Amino acid sequence: MNVTKDRVGLGWRPDLAASIFERLESIDLLEVIADDFFDGSRRGRRALKTLSSQVPVVLHGVGLGLASCESVQSKRLDKMARLFDEVRPEFWSEHLAFVRAGGLEIGHLAAPPRTSQNVEATAENLSRAISVVGSKPLMENIATLVDPPGSTFSEAAWVSAILEAVDCNSLLDLHNVYANAVNHGYDAREFLKKIPGSRVRAIHIAGGKLISAPDGSTRLLDDHLHDVPDPVFDLLEEIAASSPHPLTVILERDGAYPPMPQLLAQIQRARLCLERGRARHTATQKRFA
Amino acid sequence: MSTSAFEAFLARIYVDPSARARFKADPFAEASHAGLSPDECAAIMKIDWVGLELAALSFAKKRHAKARSTRPSLRARVQGFLCSVLNFFL
Repeated sequence: MNVTKDRVGLGWRPDLAASIFERLESIDLLEVIADDFFDGSRRGRRALKTLSSQVPVVLHGVGLGLASCESVQSKRLDKMARLFDEVRPEFWSEHLAFVRAGGLEIGHLAAPPRTSQNVEATAENLSRAISVVGSKPLMENIATLVDPPGSTFSEAAWVSAILEAVDCNSLLDLHNVYANAVNHGYDAREFLKKIPGSRVRAIHIAGGKLISAPDGSTRLLDDHLHDVPDPVFDLLEEIAASSPHPLTVILERDGAYPPMPQLLAQIQRARLCLERGRARHTATQKRFA
Repeated sequence: MSTSAFEAFLARIYVDPSARARFKADPFAEASHAGLSPDECAAIMKIDWVGLELAALSFAKKRHAKARSTRPSLRARVQGFLCSVLNFFL
């Protein structure tokens, strides 16, 4: 991955395909869900290759379940490796989550208990993934409605320990940070200070909604069905103000699609946040020069 | 802590409503029956119960959505049925 400037792109979704092609000049890159193509037709994979020849493409995995004490499944790794070989994306990414255990598929990304044993097992899974795919993934923090019981690490310390153990960089999902901060009662900006900012190479931005809990409280659900809220844009500016590396930002939207101009407006706002953050970064550097 | 058994137990109470109900009724018995150590039983009994219910609901919705998206369309199923009937008679 040899990125030289900040970029803002969009998550590729079949429902958005026509609108994306119409406005390709406004989108710096596309993020494709890798798992959707693992068992896809040859035609679908050819279409993906064609897409990657027209616009920078990155692959995003959702089903490896690398942050687990169970070994990552070889057949899934092989599928990721084959797709990576065919598409030759700029980079690939996966989640710091477990998605299956004891023979049960959870159906989505779940937070494992954050312990030293889990850090070791995750590092082992990641090392295997790197070896099979032939490229280091960016690892993404997840949102969780339930703080994993039995944890002995804070989320920031756990993420940092895994990235350090395998010398991997991160895909920082800012809505996940925001949702966890709201749901588990901490300051999202403080969280950003505790993770290794120099390892952040890519960012996800998305929206969610407040849901009512049976005890009368509310929680923030990271559903990707709503516009990016203001606090997430504020966090993006913060990261841009401190990150020493060019950032690749992806807007994720998984449904309830608004008209394309509404998505493009969020992409444009992300660009402005990056510019503002970079201006702050430059001003700080000048002050200390 | 965080053994495979612990993750497997979490997965079970996330996806299986009856296992979750048994766990809520008697957390220690259900956890120790699943083979968790006394330390792990003590840890899992401190789970955020509200968060557990909301997470389980969210996971269930995701599984249903995934099942819907991977299920063949009605048209494809009708075509498949007609093909098998034709194959039977030809």
